[in-house]
Amino acid sequence: MKKLVFHTVILAVCCAAATPAFAQEAAKQEAKETICFESRKGASEITKHEIKPGLPNVKCSPTTGATLWYGDPYDGTVPMGKMPLLDGIPEGKAVVRPRSEKLNLLGMCATACHNGVVPPGFPKHKKPVPIPTMESLLPEVKNLQHGRGRIWCLDCHHSTKRNMLVDHFGDPVSFDQPQLLCGKCHGDKLRDWRDGIHGKRIGEFVSTGKKRWFVCTECHNPHDVQDGARNKGFVQIAPESPPQLPNGMKDAKHESVHGIAH
Amino acid sequence: MSPKENPSADSVKDKPSQCQTQLASADPSAPGITTSRRSFLKAGGALSMSSLMGAAALMGQSGDVEAAIEWAEHFQKNYRLMTPEEKAEARARLERRYSAEYDKKVSVDGTESQPGVLMGYALNIRKCIGCRRCVKACVEENNQSRGSKPGQRIEWIQVLRMERGEFSQDKMDHGYPEGLGIQVGGNAYTPAGQVLEGQYFYEPEAVPEKDATYMPIACMQCEKPPCVKVCPVRTTFREGDGVVVIDYNWCIGCKMCMNACPYWARRFNLTTPVLPKEEMNPVTHYMGNRPRMRGVVEKCHWCLQRTRHSRYPACVEVCPVGARKFGNLLDPESEVSLILARKNVFRLKAEYNTFPKFFYFYD
Repeated sequence: MKKLVFHTVILAVCCAAATPAFAQEAAKQEAKETICFESRKGASEITKHEIKPGLPNVKCSPTTGATLWYGDPYDGTVPMGKMPLLDGIPEGKAVVRPRSEKLNLLGMCATACHNGVVPPGFPKHKKPVPIPTMESLLPEVKNLQHGRGRIWCLDCHHSTKRNMLVDHFGDPVSFDQPQLLCGKCHGDKLRDWRDGIHGKRIGEFVSTGKKRWFVCTECHNPHDVQDGARNKGFVQIAPESPPQLPNGMKDAKHESVHGIAH
Repeated sequence: MSPKENPSADSVKDKPSQCQTQLASADPSAPGITTSRRSFLKAGGALSMSSLMGAAALMGQSGDVEAAIEWAEHFQKNYRLMTPEEKAEARARLERRYSAEYDKKVSVDGTESQPGVLMGYALNIRKCIGCRRCVKACVEENNQSRGSKPGQRIEWIQVLRMERGEFSQDKMDHGYPEGLGIQVGGNAYTPAGQVLEGQYFYEPEAVPEKDATYMPIACMQCEKPPCVKVCPVRTTFREGDGVVVIDYNWCIGCKMCMNACPYWARRFNLTTPVLPKEEMNPVTHYMGNRPRMRGVVEKCHWCLQRTRHSRYPACVEVCPVGARKFGNLLDPESEVSLILARKNVFRLKAEYNTFPKFFYFYD
């Protein structure tokens, strides 16, 4: 009996000591949440959280901040919506991560200036003209390289519903379905994307399985497609760490400098 | 002395009857006989086993149950020769051991291959940027050793960096370049595309580098795998859905398969694998990513613990450029089948007739 009481007292003391520590730790964790990027740095960020105890939605690389592992490939996704020639996919089997929440200007676009009416001074013809307001908001569009000077803003963006894109017929297209717009010109890529050859899908690999589809703008920046610093069409990113050197090999460059004796 | 007065008369009387039964047991037509050589050996074996187990328990100081698990695991058969019950028992045993070892609920799956599935892989060689994300994703998923000492870090995917060859006029009269390694690309005038050991260890600020091409290699899951041919204990074999797997418990660590593999795909656990508890992936498969022991060979198995439940392998899911494709070759609608039908495809070292199910393509 005495022993029991003694143990209980110890337990209580420990708990009392530990509780503030736990609280502090929790606060710390909340303060620095882990965010890593999927394909495009700066445009496809994903926040790490736990789906179940011990099962995170993603694991992030500590060195480069890249997504390394998916606990749940469908985390934070919505149904893809109607896609021409993909009607055969059963409802809910094709999902996407909405792009809208990544676009911080989108809410403003819908309400502030372009709320469904043609703003004053809006060009009547389809010829490109400088739009100072937009250029000050987004400096990178001043010298738009997409199409090498053959297209401009309103070839992709809807003129009055600025929180939407535009298709061939002038009808609005959601930012979550950019493939409907991009396929206007890049038809071969759209065909390959539909078949899963271009781009990326994660989830179940069987052709009837549920998949999360990556849409065009998750990997490509449409405003910045011709950049001299990149190679092979991809923006350069930092690589993960190299493998361990074989035992006894001091320098990876040794062979190329000294050669191998024949 | 009369037989009746003998106190041990009953036992004497029994003896001939025992002899009779033993004699009868040699007769295959006599049914219902229990005493045989096999059962005798079994009993003897059980006796010696129990004494061994007792000794192990005394030595290990870790309790009878754990020791019994260890010993039972040590004496288990080749996985392919086990009955379904024995397989389930072996997996349950491993689950108990891993759960205790890694302080979490570890599951060891044993899902067999499904009919109508032949797994295939395709990689777009033009898109790969050499970021090595697949390599690290594989380590996260497959419980490889990740220590810092020599031989403690194991990665199944290697990303090879090759300089782009060019047919430039000013180099045409330089003659054939001095050989440095195995030439896999480029041309005779530019020492390009040579595989040097050092070319796996590229470490630039950013990838893709100018004038470099990257080629990830891992197990190609050959249809005619040389590693399976040479295995002296037949612990590595091809599964019904085309994946070449290893029963780690039956592996003797002779490394014959590593010599036989033309794709440098197999890795050896030279040291006791270093796998921190918090980083261990608890969803495992018996043939797949369950934690390995020292002295066994391991390699890529296309994330069997995922693909048997029709999930994409981990490397496919993390590739930032979508260069990696995976699917069922028997399904004409799968992405791999469509790539084979539509794109320019090659297989690495096809001249060896190993018939890899890993295809490189470009568009």
